[in-house]
Amino acid sequence: MQLFNTLKKQASFIAAVPALIWQILFLYVPLLFLLSASFFKRWPVFNVYDLTFTNIAAVITTAHFKIIGWSLIQAMTIATACLLVGYPVAYFFAVKMRRWKNFFLFFLMLPFWTNFLVQAYAWFFVLERNGLLNRFLLSLGIIREPLQILYSPFAVILVMFYCYLPFMILPLYGVLEKFDLRLIEASLDLGATSSKTFFKITLPLTMSGIRNGFLLVMVPAFGEYAIPAIMGGGRYLYVGSLISNYFLESRDPAVGSSFTTVSGCVILFIVLIISRVMASPKQIQKQER
Amino acid sequence: MIGIRLEGITKYYNGELIINNLNLTIEEGKFFALLGPSGCGKTTILRMIAGFENVDAGKIYLGDEDITHVPAYGRPIKTVFQNYALFPHMNVFDNVAYGLRIKKMSADMIEQKVLRILKAVDLEAQVNKYIQQLSGGQQQRVALARAIINEPDVLLLDEPLAALDLNLRERMLLELIDLQEKFKTTFIYVTHDQAEALTVADRMAIMNYDGEIEQVGTPKEIYEFPASSFVAQFVGSTNSIKGYISIPQNEQAVLNVAALGEIVITLPKEKRWARDGNHAVLSLRPEKIEISKKPLEGFANHFTGVVESIVYQGRWTQYKVRLKNDMRLQVFEQNEEHFPQEEIDYYDEVHLYWQKENAVLLEK
Repeated sequence: MQLFNTLKKQASFIAAVPALIWQILFLYVPLLFLLSASFFKRWPVFNVYDLTFTNIAAVITTAHFKIIGWSLIQAMTIATACLLVGYPVAYFFAVKMRRWKNFFLFFLMLPFWTNFLVQAYAWFFVLERNGLLNRFLLSLGIIREPLQILYSPFAVILVMFYCYLPFMILPLYGVLEKFDLRLIEASLDLGATSSKTFFKITLPLTMSGIRNGFLLVMVPAFGEYAIPAIMGGGRYLYVGSLISNYFLESRDPAVGSSFTTVSGCVILFIVLIISRVMASPKQIQKQER
Repeated sequence: MIGIRLEGITKYYNGELIINNLNLTIEEGKFFALLGPSGCGKTTILRMIAGFENVDAGKIYLGDEDITHVPAYGRPIKTVFQNYALFPHMNVFDNVAYGLRIKKMSADMIEQKVLRILKAVDLEAQVNKYIQQLSGGQQQRVALARAIINEPDVLLLDEPLAALDLNLRERMLLELIDLQEKFKTTFIYVTHDQAEALTVADRMAIMNYDGEIEQVGTPKEIYEFPASSFVAQFVGSTNSIKGYISIPQNEQAVLNVAALGEIVITLPKEKRWARDGNHAVLSLRPEKIEISKKPLEGFANHFTGVVESIVYQGRWTQYKVRLKNDMRLQVFEQNEEHFPQEEIDYYDEVHLYWQKENAVLLEK
């Protein structure tokens, strides 16, 4: 009986157990493998345990950090572009057009019904040499020769921007929808113009959505593999493509793991900085918890 | 200290006409209450004065200045919002200082002013607290301080006490009256609570369901001399008695009520409808009726009836008395004595008396 009571109390924990086991088995254990492969000499972890830093040292090179740096800049660019485009959209539908919100959410979610790769390939056919865009521009006479858009960093950024935009808009829409519009009126009433009101009231109070959206876009964009592979044609190396190269092409799991560890540490550090920079006002943080 | 004048204000909401050609003058330095049922458009009027809503026709004057098209942030009018709309990411000081900082006042000056006003509303100890740490009454006072520190010409209050409990509400009402006397700002107080409006207002306007103003006057004028049966019923409780007027020569004018008889009335002067044979409604306040088991002398009107319900309310006892034509009259009697000489009980036969001056004859 006592056991039953204890179980009853722990029901929510028990319900979480399958997911926890899943996460441990397929996230934390592999992560341990990865770390051990970076720091120990021999690959199956359970045999030899010689601690070594040569693998890590091997990836700490200018060439590697150039790739990490470029991936980071690109991820930041995409996240910033998503923010600049997504905020007005979310604001418009969450604040000005609350009546149309279901309509809006439907169209926002629509791309999610299509496979990610299909979306990327759709862009492939738009941007390729004989693609829709080039044919359109040619027929209008704006260009004489088809543009080489595909296989350029621009194409990679453009398609990633498109694919990640909903991940920015959703959290923004979430905070803006809950945002108390009377605060805007109160600020106007007290003599602040619309732009002052935005920077003093709306922006600080929606900072949590900005931060979440930014991280939701930036972190996956940093390690994105598929879109650079398709749109960049493998010509440009990003963190994602380099990791896959080490594991699949050059079959060097030790260096691959080490590079993954190093780039992982970099992105973790960046996430911490961004969370700090885009922190909500102190008093709001308490409520968010 | 400048008044507000609304001229021919018309407002549509989603294609529906909610306020049609409304005229209203609010004198400077007055505590003015705008009273009306929920959804009558009184908050919309307030929002138009504040500048949150456009008017579809008409003009708004602040003093002699036409402010119809001045944006909200440019009007020397401040608002205390229904749920205060305090900024949750700022502490009390920053909330109150917000308007002054927008005006780019010097930091010293701001600190001085904020502390002075916080002292005036008894919030000195809460300067550094955040909004969530304050009680409802304290939040209410922050909202007041935040608005009034800007020395507005007009202060708008949109049901500011609706979120407070009864005791606190009564105390805040008195504080509001004090504050208005201290600052001499024009206060416009919107409420659906007639008791609140009667308490605070120097003058008040009553709006009906169609967004029209039925009467403007002092609380006493409104209560004692309602201009329409809507006003009579909305402000306080009243008994409405229908009948037709007859004015016999050289005698008292009376209201003929079916199956009851004649009620002696005073005719309102200069009213065209108050003529012999016309239908009218008599508004008789429950507390103006005298109730007794024994016959009394010296009243113009006397009816008898049977007590149907008794509600003891401390200060008052409320009776419902059925007259011989099955009409029910509500009667309030003040409980003046611990041991009343006569105890009125259910189904007792009682006499009802009132003076003709104490009832108001209204157009049907």
